[in-house]
Amino acid sequence: MKYSEILKANKLLEDTNKPMYKVSILSNIMVHQSKEICEYILRLNDINASIELGDYDNIVQDSIKFKDSNIVLIFWEIYNFIDGLQYKIELLSKSELDELINKIKMEISIVFNNLTDTSLVIINKFSSLVFSQYDLKSNRMDFLVLELNLYIENRKQLNIKVIDIDKVISVVSIDKSIDLRYYYSSKTLYSIEFYKKYFKYIKPLFISITGKTKKALIFDCDNTLWKGILGEDGSENIKMFQEVQYLAKVLAKAGVIIGLCSKNNPEDVDKIIKSHKDMILKDEDIVIKKVNWNNKVSNIRSIAKELNIGLDSIVFVDDSDFEVNLIKEELPMVKVIQVPKKEYEYNLLIRDTINLFYNPSQTKEDLERVGMYKAQVQRVNEEQKTENIEDYLKSLKLEITTYIDDINSIERISQMTQKTNQFNLSTKRYTQKDIESFINNENYTVLAIGVNDKFGDNGIVGLAILKYKSDVAHIDTLLMSCRVLGRNIEYRFMDIINKIVMSRGFEKLSSEYRKTLKNEQVSDLYDRYGFEVLEKAKNCTKYRILVKEYKNKELDYIRIKNGK
Amino acid sequence: MENRIKNVLADVLMVDVVLITDDASPETIEEWDSLKQMNIVIALEEEFDIELSDDEVIEMLNFKLIYNIILEKI
Repeated sequence: MKYSEILKANKLLEDTNKPMYKVSILSNIMVHQSKEICEYILRLNDINASIELGDYDNIVQDSIKFKDSNIVLIFWEIYNFIDGLQYKIELLSKSELDELINKIKMEISIVFNNLTDTSLVIINKFSSLVFSQYDLKSNRMDFLVLELNLYIENRKQLNIKVIDIDKVISVVSIDKSIDLRYYYSSKTLYSIEFYKKYFKYIKPLFISITGKTKKALIFDCDNTLWKGILGEDGSENIKMFQEVQYLAKVLAKAGVIIGLCSKNNPEDVDKIIKSHKDMILKDEDIVIKKVNWNNKVSNIRSIAKELNIGLDSIVFVDDSDFEVNLIKEELPMVKVIQVPKKEYEYNLLIRDTINLFYNPSQTKEDLERVGMYKAQVQRVNEEQKTENIEDYLKSLKLEITTYIDDINSIERISQMTQKTNQFNLSTKRYTQKDIESFINNENYTVLAIGVNDKFGDNGIVGLAILKYKSDVAHIDTLLMSCRVLGRNIEYRFMDIINKIVMSRGFEKLSSEYRKTLKNEQVSDLYDRYGFEVLEKAKNCTKYRILVKEYKNKELDYIRIKNGK
Repeated sequence: MENRIKNVLADVLMVDVVLITDDASPETIEEWDSLKQMNIVIALEEEFDIELSDDEVIEMLNFKLIYNIILEKI
């Protein structure tokens, strides 16, 4: 797409009604073409971004001015710390060079300090590629860059993500990434071509922080996990797509749901998974299997239902034109990938797809997720067997573990606020820093809950943040992971919250439901808890209840224990 | 050809194409500042697959001059 076409298309995608995601780009070179290209790539992914550019070469001051943006992106170009550094550096004396290094480190440190509370800060590694590409031996610029990158790596805090810009430059090529004409005339270094690839490359960061990360990767079998058709060619004549299967297995280990949705005889596929010598994906990696002769639309629908995830969290891979188009037509929220004709292209496509599942911080829960989802599917199946849901729930031996102001769970708690969409009453996204400050503030209680039952431990799956103000306790955040829904945990959770508020001597408990595109299922939750509506606006309902009038739901079969 | 240039200018300046008259220049169009001037050059180079020299860029002061320069290049 040409630059002028991007400008035009970007303007059409602008939607002032949707909440705006504020992104600021700070730089010590001119980067003004980045604005619309970044906006366009994000808007294509349903992130309604609005980008503001900092002043030219004013990163330190701008890091104060823009610290409240959702995301701050920094283009700090080594060559422009001193005008003409690329040719001046070799003649600097040792002490001048040291002075320069110290000055740059200090500026980095100040900027990082100023941006401690920003949700996400993206900074590029310094690069010496552009001017040192002709030098056979490493030059001073290479050493300078090496030292500064090491400094950034050691100095950075959790909200800072460092981008290896050399990778992007390699993909585009040095010649096409930069336009030295404009660098010499106006300090504009990067080309349109570069920005297109760059923002595509860092897109997963934006996707994950806006809670749009995919959760499940569902494969067809024939000509998707292996080459050939099992039912026709026979098990000895199919050939495994090894690289794709390995990549899927790595995802499974990282907590992504891997599933099958295939028209085949279930026994045949089971046999291949168990005993084919080249099969990489094993039963322990595969959370859900829909191998039958039903149509794939209903199979994918039931996958979403059984796992309790949104259809828009699913990526589906299939080779057939018919199935691919059917799913695109009937379930447009599902991301569909068609297997390319050439195997190496398929491998690359799956590599690219991995970014949709990008998870910036991996927690204990992520690593155990496959087991948890499997237990979830088992539960759903058992639920279908049991007639009476109450009896079934009693048979589960449910237990809630409470963690109050637990420093050790900060990472998981912040992650839940970032990722939970459906059972989330106010959908406020918090950084680890935010959570830490709530925990240390006596006007807040951060209550996390874990849930386990006879099938296994789900880890920390629920969160409430209570905020105290004069005689009212306010529920700032209430959310639960979808894995534990339908088990009355939410009612028992409110029992716990009410008990805490009562023990602290508050008489009133207030709360609110803020409507989003995804949290319809909890729109009446506070009504169900017995709260009274105070104020009803289009997208927000405010509630209140007198603590002593709250009715315990008598769900004694869900045991409660203290986590610490 | 004339329309192709006008469309590029309109897209880059984010104004309606009717404003890009034959006399259009930074004096007649408020959005046309020095940053936009550079974006115009980049977009034109891409549109016509040409590379403009520094001297040519400096001469591109209004629509007519842009038109003449591009005409010579292709």
